[in-house]
Amino acid sequence: MPPKDDSVEGLLPLHKDTFHILVALADHDRHGYSIMQDIAARTDGQIRLRPSSLYSAIHRMLEDGLIEELDERPCDGNDDDRRRYYRLTPFGRKIAVAEARRLERLLADARATGLVPKRL
Amino acid sequence: MRDQTAALRLYRGLLWLYPAEFRDHFAGEMCRTLADCLRQSPDPVAVLWLYLGVLIDAPKERYHMIRQDVVYALRTMRREKLSSLVAVVVLALGIGSTATVFTLVNGLLLKPLPYPEQDRIVYVEEVSREISGAVAYPNYRDFQDRNRTLEDIAMFGSGLATLRGDMEAERVPAGAGTEALCRILGLQPLLGRTFTAEECRLDGPAAVLLGEDLWRRRYGGDAGIVGKAIGIGSDQVRVVGVMPSGFHFPDAAELWRPLQLNPKFNTRMDHGLEGIARVRRGAAVEQAQDDLRGIMRQIIQEHPTENYGQTVNVSPYRVRDTKKVKPVLFTLMGAVGFVLLIACANITNLLLVKVTARTREIAVRGALGASRARLVRQFMVESVLLGLAGAAGGVVLAWAAIPGLLRLVPQRLPMWIQFTPDARVLGFMTAITAGTAILAGAIPAWLASRLNLVETLKEGGRGSTTGGAKAWFRSGLVVAEVAMSVLLLAGAGLMVETFWKLNRMQAGFRTENLTTLQTAAPSNRYPNGPAGTELVRGIRKELTALPGVTSVAAASGVPLLDWWGRSFTAEGAPLLGVKDAPMINHTLVTPGYFRTLGIPILEGRDFNESDGKNPLLTIVDEGLAKRYWPHESAVGKRVRYGPPENSEPWHTIVGVVGSARNQSLRDLKRNSVYLPLGEFEWASVAYLVRSTDGLADPAKAVRARLMAVDRNVAISRVLSMKDVVTQSIWRERFFATIFGFFAVLALLLALVGLYGVMAYTVSRRTHEMGIRMALGATAGEIRGMVLAHSGRMVLAGLAAGVVAAVFLTRLLRTQLFEVSPGDPKTLGAVAGLLAVAAIAASYIPARKATRVDPMTALREE
Repeated sequence: MPPKDDSVEGLLPLHKDTFHILVALADHDRHGYSIMQDIAARTDGQIRLRPSSLYSAIHRMLEDGLIEELDERPCDGNDDDRRRYYRLTPFGRKIAVAEARRLERLLADARATGLVPKRL
Repeated sequence: MRDQTAALRLYRGLLWLYPAEFRDHFAGEMCRTLADCLRQSPDPVAVLWLYLGVLIDAPKERYHMIRQDVVYALRTMRREKLSSLVAVVVLALGIGSTATVFTLVNGLLLKPLPYPEQDRIVYVEEVSREISGAVAYPNYRDFQDRNRTLEDIAMFGSGLATLRGDMEAERVPAGAGTEALCRILGLQPLLGRTFTAEECRLDGPAAVLLGEDLWRRRYGGDAGIVGKAIGIGSDQVRVVGVMPSGFHFPDAAELWRPLQLNPKFNTRMDHGLEGIARVRRGAAVEQAQDDLRGIMRQIIQEHPTENYGQTVNVSPYRVRDTKKVKPVLFTLMGAVGFVLLIACANITNLLLVKVTARTREIAVRGALGASRARLVRQFMVESVLLGLAGAAGGVVLAWAAIPGLLRLVPQRLPMWIQFTPDARVLGFMTAITAGTAILAGAIPAWLASRLNLVETLKEGGRGSTTGGAKAWFRSGLVVAEVAMSVLLLAGAGLMVETFWKLNRMQAGFRTENLTTLQTAAPSNRYPNGPAGTELVRGIRKELTALPGVTSVAAASGVPLLDWWGRSFTAEGAPLLGVKDAPMINHTLVTPGYFRTLGIPILEGRDFNESDGKNPLLTIVDEGLAKRYWPHESAVGKRVRYGPPENSEPWHTIVGVVGSARNQSLRDLKRNSVYLPLGEFEWASVAYLVRSTDGLADPAKAVRARLMAVDRNVAISRVLSMKDVVTQSIWRERFFATIFGFFAVLALLLALVGLYGVMAYTVSRRTHEMGIRMALGATAGEIRGMVLAHSGRMVLAGLAAGVVAAVFLTRLLRTQLFEVSPGDPKTLGAVAGLLAVAAIAASYIPARKATRVDPMTALREE
């Protein structure tokens, strides 16, 4: 379904699951399990999505037009052709960037007030 | 491996918690992902968490989907403001009417009485040819002694009591009961105590219980009132207790006296008191009835000459007050059910139009992957939202309508009847709202889900011109609506006719410019004899002096309000037993009574002032005279009143007067006889005041005059005779009003439905009309074509409605008066009215059809 609301601000701030999925899809088209693995790896196992919450998020993101389902499977060797692959849409990329910027500004504000040290 | 298969099967089972649309799309993926997870980490806690996740996420997904549907439905409703508004108003009227009637049904027939263990409280009544709703005192004593199923039985009566003292005399509704009454009702006094057995014995100490409201109003809420004496009638009576506010039993009583009866004077022939009992725990009402019926059979064997051959009914207490209205309520429930069905049909039609108008949109949504279930649900959500908005409107309507309806009830309702909404009303509202939404939305939703996507998209979303089955269905709905409104109009027509006939019924006396009032004089100051007669004469003189008054008479009661039935025996006619002797209506009157009421004296003479002292004269009505002396004059003949076995003295007939409906306008139940006032001691006397233009503020004028005669005479019930007549037929008026309202509502809804369908058909056939006009069809031909289409539907509806009315109006038979169910005149009038209204409703679309510009219509192609 096409995005209901083109304005980026309407969707921000993103739910953390949504943002992680967007990040996971930023450089690769992936299927669900691959998304879960990528997120777990990037967060040192801190964030482990359940299949149920992963697919709820995917359902919503499809509706909002942030990601799309691929018609054909990418050929990367260990592929199972029954799996569904997802890809970031240009709108999804725009949203992900906007969310990243928002977080960056937030961090900058926190640093400026000395709440967070300038260098970790 | 086997473990994994079982685990996956369980997971797949849990996925049924998701909405179908989600499941169809993601179930396979989720299972595969789960299998991956299980392979990688078989940690049981982590696995358990994956399963629990479904229980958390599936309801969220459901909620999300419903929210989306609601948002979508609200958006379409906003877009189609007018049709949504019409739908909400139609539903509000339908649901509001149904809720109103149900609230009445609930208050009268379903709500528990405000007494502890109220289902064990029963009403006991003797029933025979002549009586119902009463028990003779000696029979009550036998029931009390011999029953095996009752915990307690009591007798009670109601009337008016005159309060005297430092303040002006006041008549208040009063109750009287035997000792067990308060125990049966399970009520505790606020102050003091209830009656003792001693106080209920003959010649026991006088006692009175006051209601809280009366105690506060008249006695300033005096905390020390218990033990003090107050003036009631001509006695000083000790107050023994105060009953809590809200307790008014029976009816509207504000104070209670113990019933002290002398069995000698209260024979098995006297039926002036009512019976109430509490059934033993574990015994059913029917068992109690069988028990008392058995006792009644014994009583009849033991006292064959003193009983009419009656039996006993034992029923839940509410039956006493709801017996007469129950069939009316059921009829109204039926009527309002039809109104709701018509409203439903209207909404269905409206939604069908929406389905057609949104064909393209639905097709696009379907093409984009919305499942059939989803499409159905979206329509249902819209229908439910309309239903909810309608229900909200309906609640407001019912809330406003109920006090209005109660204003049509001239009597003070028994205290236990309350129309405040409760859980039952709420449950009913929820059920009819859900039912309406489902009934109205199901078919349009189903049709929407069955659209042929490819065909529709190819056609550019216009759908076929009339849509085959759908058009048939729409017409069918209009036919049904017309039929149901014919039925309701026929019912209402019969009821209105009944009311009119009764209202214009010749009562046998002139009702205009006649004021009636009831008085009570203290019997110690006016004992039987000259003092009482003097008081009546004095009051008549004072009232005659009022400006505009032409004549004043006194009597033992007011026609239609008070009656006194006795057995009748004519000299020379075969002597009948009490079971078979005819009953007559017995009124004591002063001279001038017939002139004041406008009852013609046909033969003989009126009473004169000296007749009061000579008690053995009587006047009878024409009906009685003709029945017993058809070929000779009744004047000079002798008659006897009271049970034939009692051999009361003979009365000589001095006059014959016109027949009057003294008991009920509906039928001349009993013939009337009149005796001179003064023959019997009569505690309360009614006055009838005839004036040239009616009295201005009669209550005030009359009171001032009476106070001049004696401050101790209490006045009650100052009413014009017209009001008395109206009140006596309030049930018919109430029924006709409410039925009429529903019928008009049904007619309007059916017309809205007809108009909607015609307007829609015309708009869909613009193209066709354009071509026809381009080919030379005249405006008249086009108009005729549209009118013929609606005419066919209306005719079919009329035919079905008339047939249904012929059968169903039979259910009204007992409510009707001088008009028969299926009355051809009424049905004809109703059909004519509906046909004219239907032509008017289809004329507007028909005219619009002739305004189609052929060029524009064709260009749209």
